[in-house]
Amino acid sequence: MASVVLNGVKKIYKGGFTAVKNFDLEIKDKEFVVFVGPSGCGKSTTLRMIAGLEEISEGKIYIDGKCVNDTEPKDRDIAMVFQNYALYPHMSVYENMAFGLVLRRVNKEEIHRRVLEAAEILGISDLLGRTPRALSGGQRQRVAIGRAIVRVPRVFLMDEPLSNLDAKLRNQMRTEIMLLREKIDTTFVYVTHDQTEAMTLGDRIVIMKDGYIQQVGTPREVFEAPANTFVAGFIGSPPMNFFKAGITGGKEKPYLSICGTEIPVSKKVLENINLPEDKKVLLGIRPEHIYIASGEGISGEIKVSEMMGSELHVHLITEDGTNVVVRVPTLELSEKDKSLLLPHNTVNFSLREQALHFFDTKTGMNINKTSSYQ
Amino acid sequence: MKTMVSSVSKKHKISNLLVYILLIFICVVWLMPFVYLIFQAFRGESRGMVSYILPKEWSLANFKILFNETNFVNWYLNTVIIALFTAFFQTVIVLSVSYTLSRLRFRGRRLLMNMILVLEMFPGFLSMIAVYFILKLIGFTGPGSVPGLILVYIGSSGMGYYVAKGFFDTIPRSLDEAARIDGASRARVFYKIILPMAKPIIIYTVMMAFIAPWGDYMFASLITFGYEEAYNVAVGLFTFLDREHINNYFTVFCAGGLLVALPITVLFMMLQKYYVEGVTGGAVKG
Repeated sequence: MASVVLNGVKKIYKGGFTAVKNFDLEIKDKEFVVFVGPSGCGKSTTLRMIAGLEEISEGKIYIDGKCVNDTEPKDRDIAMVFQNYALYPHMSVYENMAFGLVLRRVNKEEIHRRVLEAAEILGISDLLGRTPRALSGGQRQRVAIGRAIVRVPRVFLMDEPLSNLDAKLRNQMRTEIMLLREKIDTTFVYVTHDQTEAMTLGDRIVIMKDGYIQQVGTPREVFEAPANTFVAGFIGSPPMNFFKAGITGGKEKPYLSICGTEIPVSKKVLENINLPEDKKVLLGIRPEHIYIASGEGISGEIKVSEMMGSELHVHLITEDGTNVVVRVPTLELSEKDKSLLLPHNTVNFSLREQALHFFDTKTGMNINKTSSYQ
Repeated sequence: MKTMVSSVSKKHKISNLLVYILLIFICVVWLMPFVYLIFQAFRGESRGMVSYILPKEWSLANFKILFNETNFVNWYLNTVIIALFTAFFQTVIVLSVSYTLSRLRFRGRRLLMNMILVLEMFPGFLSMIAVYFILKLIGFTGPGSVPGLILVYIGSSGMGYYVAKGFFDTIPRSLDEAARIDGASRARVFYKIILPMAKPIIIYTVMMAFIAPWGDYMFASLITFGYEEAYNVAVGLFTFLDREHINNYFTVFCAGGLLVALPITVLFMMLQKYYVEGVTGGAVKG
């Protein structure tokens, strides 16, 4: 159990490419922090720097208050689960899990006790005699996690541990990681590109893009008050819809001008944003906060209607060419709605005022004074 | 439709037949010298060269002569010592250099690899005279040829790193990283994690390192420089083919050749199964 502090950390590769830029973060003791972002955003590189597998070009990393820039990975008292499992193929599951303890000269009885305990937690007790070759993907990943937990590390690092599993197994393992976290109360740093994993597992989420931190916050904070259009578009599935909008009308009776339609909006909404001088904004709204309404709102032609089971994703295109996704719960659909929400039909939609996000058109930064959900 | 299928199958049969005839011909060409060598080794009626293959009289006399009247045992022992030492040291050096070049990133690495590549283009015998004089200076020629030859053979071992480096490149780096996080030093990662997975390439390196000095004639004849006690089998046996010996020792030469080929054949047969299969299955997501 330990805190991890990254202070102005940079990673510059030979040839000048900067993968991580000025990374500042304080991870508290026993906190579960998730680094999330698209491929190439620097999340794995940052994790590998914490592990000591990548040299730090600039800045400092502290584990439990001690600078570890020049400390070998084996002396950092960390454990890591790799995306591709990285199990030792010539060793049995038992030997794989015991290897780290043998190297640390833990006595045999203690090794045996810890391996059996970890195997019990992960439900792999009957696999201890097998080699990795004789295991399925999910079992291998459990062994990889087991190898990490037997060491009782101060910091637990996980580099996309579920991305090689199929969707069903991924969901199952995600739940198991949540349960595991309760059992082994330590500091977790978890890397993923899957925002669902990030939202469900993390106490806090660090959203990265092009080597920069875009936002750090709890899952609720980043979802409800995204710092910029990137975060807004990255977190949430389907992603947030964006409209170029202008504010018209007076202070007492303002309107939002979207896709050639003037929509009345309450003055409370405008009071909550730092309105730019040109009164032009980028409006963001999540697909679940748009509703199909006959006869009012903005009109759009349905391109695709995706049946997802419990909900319908309706892809529309407005008259000015803006693409919009609307999420409709299937339970609320009448037979008439079902026949309406078919491709090539034109429908009208409205936006829930209390769920609007406003962004600066130039910088893409959020200009809401407080979370629009409050 | 049926006619078309039968015409395709007929064409296929004819092409198969031609391929098999060619393969049989190549086999005969390859195996003939060995068959000839075996038959001559057991020929009892005369010891010179003859124009037929099958012996008229089968005998072990040639082997008796080889062991009782020549220095063959001595040469054989020299060769075994040289080959074993070379195989051991060359394998250690080749694997270490290959792993280093595969895993470590250091200044000048690429330049070093390129330089070795260029140097390897030059045939080894270009350095023969210089090597001879250096070994002569330290007393490793003539009677001291055995250690001298071991030095010659292991001298540039590291330069043959390509094959092993290529193999190490295929072992996922995440295994090294996992072991380093588990608490292993780089050296321990090498011999606890990587080497057990590298059986095929270790076998390959050992075999290559053993075979090269086993059959070497050029360097051995130069370094031993007429000192018969220090000959290896290749140089020793070749003396049987001198003009004054060939009529009495040709079949003895064949018997010697058979005994020289034997350990290599056994070694290859014992170790070939490791060639086929690696042990990395299950290490990482396939």
